[in-house]
Amino acid sequence: MSPFTTEVYQNEYLPLGGTEVNAIVTVTSDGAGGPSVRAGAAEVVVVDTSGSMGIPHANIKAARKATKVAIDCIRDGVQFAVIAGTDHARMVYPSREQLAPASARTRDEAKREADRLHAGGGTAIGKWLTLAGELFAAAPDRIRHALLLTDGEDEHETPEELDRVLATLEGRFQCDCRGVGTNWRVSELRRIASTLLGTVDIIPEPEDMAADFRAVMQAAMGKATGDVSLRLWTPQGARVAFVRQVAPTIEELTDRRVAAGPLAADYPTSTWGSESRDYHICIDVPARQVGEEMLAGRVTLMEGDEPRGQALIRAVWTEDRQLSTHINREVAHYTGQAELAQCIQDGLEARKEGDLGTATFKLGRAVQLAAHSGNDGTMKLLQAVVEIDDPATGTVRLKREVAAVDEMSLDTRSTKTVRVGPAGT
Amino acid sequence: MNTETGLSCPSCGTLLHPGDRFCESCGARVDEPAHSTAGGTRVELDLTTAAVVSDQGLVHRRNEDSFHLEVARGGVGVVVCDGISSSSAGNVAAQDAARAAGSVLARALADPGADAGAALLEAIRAANDAVQRVEWTTRTRRVDPSCTLVSALYRAGEIVIGWVGDSRAYWLDAREPRQLTVDDSFAEEGIAKGLLTPEQAAKSPFLHSITHWVGPDAPERPPRLAELKPDRPGRLVLCTDGLWNYAPSAGQLGALLDALPPGAAPAAVARSLTDIAIDRGGHDNITVAVLDVQGAVAP
Repeated sequence: MSPFTTEVYQNEYLPLGGTEVNAIVTVTSDGAGGPSVRAGAAEVVVVDTSGSMGIPHANIKAARKATKVAIDCIRDGVQFAVIAGTDHARMVYPSREQLAPASARTRDEAKREADRLHAGGGTAIGKWLTLAGELFAAAPDRIRHALLLTDGEDEHETPEELDRVLATLEGRFQCDCRGVGTNWRVSELRRIASTLLGTVDIIPEPEDMAADFRAVMQAAMGKATGDVSLRLWTPQGARVAFVRQVAPTIEELTDRRVAAGPLAADYPTSTWGSESRDYHICIDVPARQVGEEMLAGRVTLMEGDEPRGQALIRAVWTEDRQLSTHINREVAHYTGQAELAQCIQDGLEARKEGDLGTATFKLGRAVQLAAHSGNDGTMKLLQAVVEIDDPATGTVRLKREVAAVDEMSLDTRSTKTVRVGPAGT
Repeated sequence: MNTETGLSCPSCGTLLHPGDRFCESCGARVDEPAHSTAGGTRVELDLTTAAVVSDQGLVHRRNEDSFHLEVARGGVGVVVCDGISSSSAGNVAAQDAARAAGSVLARALADPGADAGAALLEAIRAANDAVQRVEWTTRTRRVDPSCTLVSALYRAGEIVIGWVGDSRAYWLDAREPRQLTVDDSFAEEGIAKGLLTPEQAAKSPFLHSITHWVGPDAPERPPRLAELKPDRPGRLVLCTDGLWNYAPSAGQLGALLDALPPGAAPAAVARSLTDIAIDRGGHDNITVAVLDVQGAVAP
């Protein structure tokens, strides 16, 4: 049985001459997994031990504790390692540059090493990731996941150096990134997480670290299907305008395409546990005559070379304007959620640059979109940054004093979306 | 390994594989039943005193109109249906509805004692039952199979019309051409309630949004009937919106006939009206039924 089920939400009706086809494709994985589940998993925990992690001392203490919690989550048989990161990368466990099979004994040994983590040195995240990549190279058939913790900016290498590393590691493993405190840079960690198909989040206080690590590790250990890509076939003459994951978070996939034959391309989606994700696909097709129907796109979930589920995106041309002008509810909802994320990022950027007019306008629009779509989580984060006079019209005033942690929380979590509510709301 | 079927995509010519629903190159739908795409674009039935022409038009890919015509014992029974193109299998709905209603009218013609109004109501009921049984070609949240229906029974100098939807019947004579049906449409209801002027209605995007139809989800109210006892010769015209879009009023439609010779046969009239609709764009399927009516004659 296919581990993936798909549903398509779209208004397939186009007016005479219409060419833009929009669809939301919901992909649900039952978590049972395909053949790769038998191959098992590989896990690398990467902990920032730069000098700043010792200030306050609570940081490094929390990091030790959180690393031990993460190690405890690793199932028997999973190949794992722990890396300490400064301006270079150092093996914490095992001592040699290789992965070790998890067991009660190896977990205990690893935890003893984690207790000896100490702070000192610089930050060169690219080097940490490079070492992780080398370790994972020994486990090509496993589901490969890394958890990266940092508290600061990538100071001891250039952005170009990091970019080069990311380019070589793309598709080699998945990496969830966590920033503790407020001295790290959201855009930097987002770039790493995005390229390596992981999540990014802020851990405002060191004492929250252990709980966050446990959640990340439990999700990682629940992944049953690795290296899944979304293959999109489109007809001759069509152009893919965009492919975007829209739930649970927004991730642009358009530029991640890898050609798969003359009319198809693969978009990476990394690993899957028991979960459901939504994708917004927009395709420009050549117009046809009224009454004609065409296949505008076919989405196939590919696990390696094996198709694991399929969804059809259709187009039907009609003269009935009531049909063709109707915007599908799911498409409208996620178009709004994508705009919401963009408004927050633009608004915060403008605020940093001192362009308060643009910041007020963008964050006001964000408030309006969050209120309209019932995105309460994002609304709460916005409330820490703006005074809301009227959510319906998006009338807001910028707060004069905004805590760095609130601004960074809003920025990191701006891409979290909510699913479309029940009909009639 | 797929083997080719020897068939190629009618849209782009790419060879098709067995079981293909869509062309693997251009995406065109290729699994339509052969009878709906094959054959000519026009069907004509000429029974001398009555005739029907049904044409695919220039824009639609298939003809979703259908009709049934019976001439017996000096009487005529005729049904014209327009499959609703936003519905699934609208073409099949129209065919089955016309056939079912037509066979009821044929029985009524054979029985001089049958009440014409009752026969038309029964015909529309039979059409509804037939469309209930239409299988959907796709399951993806499209509208139930459905169609419009206008039908007429003419005998012994009397015409009775029964209809649902916006296919129309007109009486065209030299003196006073008039429309016999009132569309079951938002536009007409707006006019009837004084919410729209006829000019506003003609421009409304809801002009073609119908409020009654034949199909499983049809509103539960009886179809409307109209009667006419002509006292002079003229022609009864039943048509789908593929024609009346280009000549909505009875006056405009009547004027189109003025160009024809006075004694033009029904088939010539139907053909001429269809050609005019095609000349003016042929944006929809066009079906025109024409009956010659001699007017009151001494019994």
